[in-house]
Amino acid sequence: MMLDHRLILLATPRQIGVLDWRPGHMHWLGEFAADTAGLTAFRQVVVRHAQLPVLLVADTVDEDYRSEILPHVRGHARNELLARKLRQFFRNSRFTGAWRQARETTGRRDDRYLLAALPDADWLMPWLTVLHRERVPLAGITPLALAYQHLLDKLKVPSSHTLLACRLSNGLRLSYYHKGLLRFSRLIGGDTPTQLPGNAADEIAKTQLYLSGQRILPREARLHVLLLDPSGQLDSAQAPLNADPAFSARLIDMSSLSRALRIPDDFLAATPDVAPLAAIAGETVHLNLAPPELLQHHTEFRWRRALHAAAGIVALLGLGMTATYWLYAQDLNDQTRQMALQQQQLDARYQTIARTFPTRVAAPEQLAQTVRLARQLDSRQPDVTVLQATIGQALQATPDITLDGLHWTDDTLTPAGDVQVNLDAAITPFDGNYRAAMQRIEHFMRTLQASPAVRDVTLRASPVNAESTRTLSGKTLDANAADAPAARFSLSLHYREARS
Amino acid sequence: MTRPPFPVLKLPLLLVLAALLLASGGVLWARHQADDAGTALQQQQSALNRARQQLDHSRQQQQLIATYLADYQTLAARGFVGAEDRLAWIEAAQLANRDSGLYGLDYRLMPRTASLPSLAQELPLGQTSMTLTLPLLVETDLTRFLAALKSRAPGVYRVQGCRLTRLNNAPFEAVNRPQLQAECELLWFTVATVTEEVR
Repeated sequence: MMLDHRLILLATPRQIGVLDWRPGHMHWLGEFAADTAGLTAFRQVVVRHAQLPVLLVADTVDEDYRSEILPHVRGHARNELLARKLRQFFRNSRFTGAWRQARETTGRRDDRYLLAALPDADWLMPWLTVLHRERVPLAGITPLALAYQHLLDKLKVPSSHTLLACRLSNGLRLSYYHKGLLRFSRLIGGDTPTQLPGNAADEIAKTQLYLSGQRILPREARLHVLLLDPSGQLDSAQAPLNADPAFSARLIDMSSLSRALRIPDDFLAATPDVAPLAAIAGETVHLNLAPPELLQHHTEFRWRRALHAAAGIVALLGLGMTATYWLYAQDLNDQTRQMALQQQQLDARYQTIARTFPTRVAAPEQLAQTVRLARQLDSRQPDVTVLQATIGQALQATPDITLDGLHWTDDTLTPAGDVQVNLDAAITPFDGNYRAAMQRIEHFMRTLQASPAVRDVTLRASPVNAESTRTLSGKTLDANAADAPAARFSLSLHYREARS
Repeated sequence: MTRPPFPVLKLPLLLVLAALLLASGGVLWARHQADDAGTALQQQQSALNRARQQLDHSRQQQQLIATYLADYQTLAARGFVGAEDRLAWIEAAQLANRDSGLYGLDYRLMPRTASLPSLAQELPLGQTSMTLTLPLLVETDLTRFLAALKSRAPGVYRVQGCRLTRLNNAPFEAVNRPQLQAECELLWFTVATVTEEVR
């Protein structure tokens, strides 16, 4: 909001008023007469506010307006066209300006311009000299009638043909607005007889005739006249104007005005001149009569302000990002500290537990593993008695088979998990009948196999090899002979004890 | 806005430049701080996790010690842990032979070897093969001898296998003379301590 802080000057040939304005606040710094003392006081005020941009509102009799329809062009061509037109109409005027108000909706769709000038602006020069010397950024010079246009905007006047009759310290100003846009204005000076109430109505009627004559105001149009006079001297003009069907007049009371401008009643009553200044203060100046060389300081001011703003934004962004990162880092550091504290507590608890560990034994895992391994190794081994009993039962079932040797190997710790048994036996007595011997061996094997703990009984060595590829020889024997040879054979089997 | 009047904008431009430098410097510094803090946090997080795991592990170890220490000490006292005690094994075999009333025995202890990895389960488990040869009167003498050895044996062993053979093919005689011979292979297991090596 500080960017909108500015000084609004109301300059007349006799004096200059200074309003210190910023949104929501305004302060009337006073009026300064156009003499040496006034200029000195004005300079002191300007020096105190030299950093603020200044808008100068000119209120003078010597002003000229022309409405022109010009071809629609843009950019440099428009600037050249307007410069030529301004030189053409206001040949020797230094303070001229053009305002592109609207574009025609038909035909070539030309642009409608309001050209304005201050033909005699010598009275302005002392004030401008002060501003220039103090390097004040002059934002523009605009006619008071344009300030009144913004005042009408704020009053929300609906009529399309409005004549504002305003009587302030410098006299009676009559300004005509078509659809809210300034088309014409004139000031009737305070030292003329028109200051009398009756003459005000006459002046309004004359102005209406002039506007009609210049085709600025359509002949059939009814002119809506607004009377603004803090002193109340224009009140009497309302009745005669309303008696004429070409007019509809009404008074603007000060309370409505203060409400529309959002300024206190008493402040407005004390300094009624601030009304148009307050109206234009926050607005864009459409009609600027200042020559470019007077705006140089303002151009510098705008660049400087933009660069200061950019620097401020960059600094703020940098500060914000720095603060964000820094706060984030602090947050992370806090988390780290909390974790370090937790770690210390965990370490302390670990040390407490570790101190209870015996020092002269193996690591706990190895300790447990050692015990488990010992248990596994110590686990129940095959019961030799049961193994012998199993084989003995089979031998009892086949009494003509005698056991020569028994060998078992405990593989219960291996994945196979059983006992490998080899037994060597013989058939006694043996009469040389190998067929019968083989039948008895098979019977013995079936008997063994019938035991639930025995499986995979196989004949490893047979009493006789009857394969076709081998030589087979022998003799028949007497079964009762004392030296009858035995029919020896070998079996292998797997034994697995039923676990209880 | 018209072309910028550079000569009068030196100070504002320097101001913008200074703001840019300060802002970028501040942001870089703060970001570096945040990066460092992030790295420190990650390291601390890892350390905390390690401490937590260490504590959990120590609790598990504590549980293991409470469960197995007594048994371990018993095993150590039996000679399962530490250097092998061959004399004790021989003595146990002799005592078992005497307890079962047999007729003497021959023994042979082989050098100690490392057990199979599948059995050792990464422990320094060694095994020593002991071959016992003893005459028997009847087959049940072997059972009695093995039972007596079980009660006398100080360490951990397994009977790997036995071979029962007849000493000769003579017919049965009712005299108190051994007719059978048993040859058994025993494996004595020992776990080396940290300072030992299973050779």
